[in-house]
Amino acid sequence: MGRYRVTVDTGGTFSDFVYLDEGTDEITVAKLPSTPDDPSRAILAGVEVLLAKGVAPADISYFCHGTTVGTNALLEGKGVCTGLLVTEGFRGIYEVAEQCRPHGAAIFDIFYDRPPLLVPASRTAEVRERVSAVGDVLLPLDEDALRQTVRALGAEGVQSLAVCLLFSFLHPKHEERARTIVAEEIPQCAISLSSEVVPQIREYYRLSTTVINAYLEPILARYIANLEGRLSAARVTTPQKYIMQSNGGMATFAASAKKAVATVLSGPAGGITASVQTCRTTGYANLVTFDMGGTSCDVALIKDGQPSVQNRGTIEGRHISLPMIEINTVSAGGGTLARVDALGQLQVGPESAGAVPGPACYGNGGTEPTITDCNLVLGYLGENNFLAGRMKLDAAAAHRAVESVAQKLGMEAADAAEGIVRIIDVKMQEAIKAISTMRGHDLSDFYLLAFGGAGPLHAARIAAELGMAGVVVPLYPGVYSAMGLLMSDVKHDYIRSRIGGLAKTNSADVGRLFDELEALARQDLRDEGFGADRITIERSLDLRYAGQGYEITVGIDFPLQADSLQNLRRRFDETHRQMFGHTAPDEPVEIVSYRLRGIGRVPEVKLPKFKPEGRSLKDALRETRTARFAGKMLDCPVYFRDRLDVGVQFEGPAIVDQLDATTVIPAGHSARVDAFKNIVISARGA
Amino acid sequence: MDAVAIEIVKASLSGIVQEMQNSLFRTGFSTIVRESQDASCALMNPKGDVIAQHVVLPLHMGAFPACCEGVLRSYGGDIVDGDAFLINHPYEGGSPHAPDMAVITPVFFEGALIGFCGSIAHKSDIGGPVPGSCSGQAREIFNEGLHLPAIRYVRGGQRNLDIERIIAANSRTPELVLGDIRGQLGASRLGEQRLRELLAKFGPAESVACFDRLLELSELRMRAAIAEWVDGRFEAERFIDDDGIELNKPVRVHVVVEKKGGSISFDFSASADQTKGPANVRPPLVKAAIAYCLISLVDPHIFINSGIMRSFSVTTREGSVLNPRFPAPVNTYNATVHAMVESLFAALSHVMPARARADGCGSRSIIIGGRSTSAGKTYVQYEIVGGGAGGRAMKDGASGTTVNQSNAKIASIEIMESEFPTRILRFELIPDSGGAGEFRGGLGIKREYLNLADARFSIRSSKHVIPPLGAADGGPGRTGDLTINPGTPDEKHLPTRYADYPLKAGDIFRLDTPGGGGLGDAFKREPKKVLADVAQGYVSPEHALSDYGVAVARDGNNWIIDEVKTKTLREGKS
Repeated sequence: MGRYRVTVDTGGTFSDFVYLDEGTDEITVAKLPSTPDDPSRAILAGVEVLLAKGVAPADISYFCHGTTVGTNALLEGKGVCTGLLVTEGFRGIYEVAEQCRPHGAAIFDIFYDRPPLLVPASRTAEVRERVSAVGDVLLPLDEDALRQTVRALGAEGVQSLAVCLLFSFLHPKHEERARTIVAEEIPQCAISLSSEVVPQIREYYRLSTTVINAYLEPILARYIANLEGRLSAARVTTPQKYIMQSNGGMATFAASAKKAVATVLSGPAGGITASVQTCRTTGYANLVTFDMGGTSCDVALIKDGQPSVQNRGTIEGRHISLPMIEINTVSAGGGTLARVDALGQLQVGPESAGAVPGPACYGNGGTEPTITDCNLVLGYLGENNFLAGRMKLDAAAAHRAVESVAQKLGMEAADAAEGIVRIIDVKMQEAIKAISTMRGHDLSDFYLLAFGGAGPLHAARIAAELGMAGVVVPLYPGVYSAMGLLMSDVKHDYIRSRIGGLAKTNSADVGRLFDELEALARQDLRDEGFGADRITIERSLDLRYAGQGYEITVGIDFPLQADSLQNLRRRFDETHRQMFGHTAPDEPVEIVSYRLRGIGRVPEVKLPKFKPEGRSLKDALRETRTARFAGKMLDCPVYFRDRLDVGVQFEGPAIVDQLDATTVIPAGHSARVDAFKNIVISARGA
Repeated sequence: MDAVAIEIVKASLSGIVQEMQNSLFRTGFSTIVRESQDASCALMNPKGDVIAQHVVLPLHMGAFPACCEGVLRSYGGDIVDGDAFLINHPYEGGSPHAPDMAVITPVFFEGALIGFCGSIAHKSDIGGPVPGSCSGQAREIFNEGLHLPAIRYVRGGQRNLDIERIIAANSRTPELVLGDIRGQLGASRLGEQRLRELLAKFGPAESVACFDRLLELSELRMRAAIAEWVDGRFEAERFIDDDGIELNKPVRVHVVVEKKGGSISFDFSASADQTKGPANVRPPLVKAAIAYCLISLVDPHIFINSGIMRSFSVTTREGSVLNPRFPAPVNTYNATVHAMVESLFAALSHVMPARARADGCGSRSIIIGGRSTSAGKTYVQYEIVGGGAGGRAMKDGASGTTVNQSNAKIASIEIMESEFPTRILRFELIPDSGGAGEFRGGLGIKREYLNLADARFSIRSSKHVIPPLGAADGGPGRTGDLTINPGTPDEKHLPTRYADYPLKAGDIFRLDTPGGGGLGDAFKREPKKVLADVAQGYVSPEHALSDYGVAVARDGNNWIIDEVKTKTLREGKS
């Protein structure tokens, strides 16, 4: 038993499914309408698709799910009634937040407001206690007062409680004691301790992360329990049931339910994980991922097979201090609108036509041109092959929409369409530069990995403009995130802040701290069913020059050697130079935090490798269409993606159609299909 | 001109300044640059007009052109590829005060000067009598630290190490200052490279034509919006507490706005004479303050460049607080700029009532200098603390925020206590500090410190005497205060700006920051909003009664409105 892996990435419109037959490495995919009121309904429907083929539920050995349940509850303000405990005198930490407004327009916008508090002041209570900057207790915890406070919060109907006390990352006992008291006084109340969620220095970010966790935890726990119930009812009983996290790793259902905040920014993680796997198996070690959908475009950098990670992120102005894959999002998608303003200037974005009315060519009443309309006018999209012909596009409506803008500019419609696409391309190029050249990476070493519905339409031109090595379009660009869910490992991150001069720190102390974190990690992974042989531990330190306001995470090898800390110092200087262009080798360096990642390795999935079947390029030809490239209408062949055989090569201009995406190979580019059936595009002469 | 090319150039310029900015934040050495992000970057044309700026600090819109002009005046015929210039002189350039050091680098393409890359970043200390270089008791700029007129710092790619040694010798924190300057240089070099790529792509002639057109478009956009406003003459004034030297003498900032058709002018001539203390503001910042208000009223999303500055005219009187004569001191200019911005909003509220707002908390920083970090070095603990924003048309003012042109992060308590001999005792919003109004002012911040080692303390604040004013019958916000050893026989209040108070180990000091003014008649505030404020602890029951005419009572754990009493109170008033 145990032959199938099933993954599902739940999106706003569609739930994407990928099924892997572990025996044959065969992959099949499906897209079903999402059921936002209860996402698990669509999930069960997707499982049924597999069972309908005669697969027994017991044959499903692995299930991984990318969910936006937590994200949506946060964005829509639909978390539970949450309370907050802070150190006496420090209610301002949450209400003042960072104090400043975001850079750019918000500074000028007198109507700008921070996002509303998830916990109002009336449900924020103070705890009489105080711990010093070195972890000494300055004021012992007043337990009686705390008990009164907790009772009062219980009477307010608090369902979940966040606790964030000053310096609790040095001395967690007060928070732990608070948990005991809460359990005694309001046993049904969920509780999130900042010393467990993220025991890291900087009170506001720790508090914000803990509050978000408390706000979402009961929601996610309920959702997972419900899903678990439905899967059990369908007799899908594998213990390998996972949820995707923002750090690009998975966690078991049980672990995810306890750390809800770690799923909030997990949306793009699946696609990145799939890209990392693509790096491993196909030999493109350096990639920029390019996920362009209907309203936005996400880009991320993968260097030497490792995605770039950041230690803090934001969602709609709320701060989450957890390691997450660094993703740069720009509002550029198929639905992005082009308009002419009062001064006769062409503006592309950031407004989007959204799902309703959507692009003019969808025939839902849209009259303003979108990027999708332009791609249709330019001949990149065909009227009859969108979603494999299931949705007919209205070319006349697209023309009318583009024409309305072109007229105001005194341009031909085709010129306007091409110009609009160039402008959106530049915006996406800038987003890519921001995560690559800005960090000292040379883009000529990188391939652009294009996925999402619109990514492969734009990728080749963008890569050429940026001087990149080329473009890789994976076999299933439209369900690529769900592909990533097949290939991840379980990853848990642990952190402890302990500020101290590196030169004054001895390696025994460093070793002891890491040992403590490692014990936690091994315990958690053991609970999730991983034997010692399947566990990998990675350690790193957040370091800075003394007095600097910003830390860099630097990896450290174990076991520690006599010269480990000196080497660490050297590596820090090197990393600092690489990231920031300068070093200060004479300045003392401080350790701020210790980080440890516990990885539970899931048996690896090999991307299927295909053998040529001896079909010629002509066998894949669907039709010939005229499409516009650099101002000229050119005849170009349109190929069926699923009929392109391994090893075929062709020259642009050409277009490749498949169910969920269209790939454009512009004039002057050539394409080939590699053994994994990726389309690899490069500029000729490059 | 090609409509597509313009948009592409615009998107590219935005990307370049963003990239420079990110580079500066990452490479900056000091906490001020990296955590408080008190720094910004811009691209200029050969005349010094800003063609693109990533706005972090609005005042720098005016500072960049003036810094460039300073460089051009001194080195006009002698600027070559690979140069870099430093300037931090408020009279020779555009720096608001000496700590705001500008690095300006020329950009050449095919042998011709195409423009400049620039950045301005606040330095933690540039010498002078007090740590942080901002003495509230300065009487000349010679009391405000080391001033560099435009000087060539880099020639042919080689840094002038003599200059670095001079700067280092004049700062209490030489490593931080030089580290930040090098970070600025790196940001400039990045900008140069990116700008040259853009020029290569579109050709220099076409690119420059696009830059010019973008300036023109921003100007036209402002003028088109202004043309729709009612014509008229509007007048307003604000007072700041004092200048730090003459303590009981408020300083007047006064503006007359004349608007006719598409043109608008601002005349500040009736403002006070230049002050003896450091409350003066140089004219480049006056222009920036006007631009800030116009952008806010017209379109916060407008493409920011010097074209905006061409859409209005401005008059200041030489010898006044807004156009002081050398060497009048300027280091605590910010309170005056807030007064300017608030007088502008007040005058223009007649034009744009939908964007009316009451006054906010102004801004303040505290600077503690000493000699005992864990590393045993001289330290400068620098914090910027906001307060309440004014009530707005249809919305309450924000609490615990920066306002107007000021925008810095609050310092982390855990970081401060780990790095400096200080312990923070209290950090909370102040109930009842927001001005009463139909739309309430935001609340001020209370931050109380226990000082653990002898140190030198300076404050540059605002609105400790004259409160943030309400608008349209709204009440004023509560004033700010700085109290040393509150509630003890030694209790003492420092003036709004004060330099070099000798704090002793064991001293407690408490900073209360002002709340924002209210907007509209408080008796018209919906009672349920007043009730919510009481429940959240933002307004006390006593003030609900006296300021809002809303009687509330306890009902178990909840607060409820006493409808009858409230009706009587509110009817009695009208």
